Amino acid sequence: MTRGVWLFLGAVLGVLYLPLIPPVLESFRAGDGFIANYIGIAANAVLMEGIRNTAVLGLTVAVITPLIALSVAQTLRAWGRARLILGLILLPLFVPGVSMGLATALVFQVIGLEASMVSMALVQILWALPFATLLLLTVMAGFDRAYLEAAHMLGAHPLRAFIDIELPQIWPGILGAGIFSLILSFNETIRTSIVQGGSNTVQTYLWSQYQQVGLTPPLYALMTLLIALTLVLVGLLAVLDRRLLARRQIDAADLDA
Amino acid sequence: MPRQAARPVITRLLQRGLYGAPLAAVAALVVGPLAVMVMVSFWTRTGFSMTPDFSLAAYSTFLGSTRLDILFRSLWVAASATLIMLLIAYPAAFLIARRVRTDAVRTVLFLFAVPFLVNYVVRTFAWTEILGRSGWVNTMLLNLGVIGAPLDWLLYSQFSVYLGLITAYMPFMVFPIWLSLSAIDPRLEQASWMLGETPRQTFWRITLPLSLPGVFAAALFGFVGAFGEFAISTVLGGTGYQLLGNSVISALNVINYPLAAAISTFSVGVMGVLLLIWFRVFDLRLFLGKIMGRT
Repeated sequence: MTRGVWLFLGAVLGVLYLPLIPPVLESFRAGDGFIANYIGIAANAVLMEGIRNTAVLGLTVAVITPLIALSVAQTLRAWGRARLILGLILLPLFVPGVSMGLATALVFQVIGLEASMVSMALVQILWALPFATLLLLTVMAGFDRAYLEAAHMLGAHPLRAFIDIELPQIWPGILGAGIFSLILSFNETIRTSIVQGGSNTVQTYLWSQYQQVGLTPPLYALMTLLIALTLVLVGLLAVLDRRLLARRQIDAADLDA
Repeated sequence: MPRQAARPVITRLLQRGLYGAPLAAVAALVVGPLAVMVMVSFWTRTGFSMTPDFSLAAYSTFLGSTRLDILFRSLWVAASATLIMLLIAYPAAFLIARRVRTDAVRTVLFLFAVPFLVNYVVRTFAWTEILGRSGWVNTMLLNLGVIGAPLDWLLYSQFSVYLGLITAYMPFMVFPIWLSLSAIDPRLEQASWMLGETPRQTFWRITLPLSLPGVFAAALFGFVGAFGEFAISTVLGGTGYQLLGNSVISALNVINYPLAAAISTFSVGVMGVLLLIWFRVFDLRLFLGKIMGRT
């Protein structure tokens, strides 16, 4: 029985992970060899600008999204109405990427603003927000609100109680939401490409190159770097998760003692 | 004294503003663009620009051309792909919730999250390497002598489109299903067992119905994604293969914003109806309670 379980899960995961391998192999094998492919990236001015844009966007999204998620989560706790508020937050998850990109592009079109880094940041925040909020909510669910009541009884202002008591406890959730948003930001293509205007990100560059000339060896190197960076960030997320889990266990042990 | 009475009101207003303002901003950010999109779908196209109007011209263009075929194809492909994805994601979620050791659950869920996080366009590109005429699968099968000539149906075919859709959207579908499965009170299943039901009957009459909120959420996510897909159909579908997302982009390419908006409004409308059903039919408290703790 147990063997069958792992066989099924292993097979499904195997198929899911298979597409992560070819870009890596191709970046070594294709073109003028491994080093030339990676140097090809650095020599490309458009691409280097794309990398800069990607970094700026990623950091913007990674900072703003958790803050919005945090305030929404606080409102949710204060007001209840979970179905309504969560429904609103989760909505972008259920809108096709092309449609969400188009909707945002049209807003800029109607207002008469140029599509820019702002419009790109906007679609990416909308895309990351449902995930960031869910992640934060699950971490906040583990926080015992009795601590806040205790702080209140001892005369602390709600803001003070939040900063001194709650924030240190849910900090890993905020950090996790930030990393998650960063990952989603630099792995986003379709929504971004519709509102990109004149600027490029690494992903939109990749996509436009694919449509214009097809996949070239330097592009495989680029994809490899993207996959590697994603895996590093995912690893960071895993470490954070382990820490949180360990701390919970210590807290639980303290309570038992 | 009036001053004392006034303070709590101000505090309450401040608090309401503090909580309400970010929420209102988010609501505007989420709903605003969609509202603008619906509005523009009724406008008319004038050359390379558009004029405010209340016209159904864009909709009649949408429904009166080959785009109608694309719509029906998208509906069919999305529905059938969603069914296949559920048939994989449900057993996976079930096994994670019921058969995997508790301390390994987080790790296994994490393993499902990783491929979802890597850009699906990059993963879609990779499939062309694996499935192409001189790709991995064909090379391997040729070398093994299983086939005499490369298989043509692996890439630029229905098969590759479905494979692309499944690997893009299925990993995330495991999560809501797992969530609703693990929120089921085990005593309900035990009660069913005590009353003499077989495990199979217990599954069909207790476990499956109680997990439906998560299943429906997962199905919705997969369906909407596949329905409005653009990249996978472009890369893996071959020349001329289009899903509804391609329709939107092709309308955008000829700078026909009202048409693009009309097609998009249609697909968002389909999503809205399904989402309403989800909210109306299912009791989501269990499902949400699992995310938010005891509330």
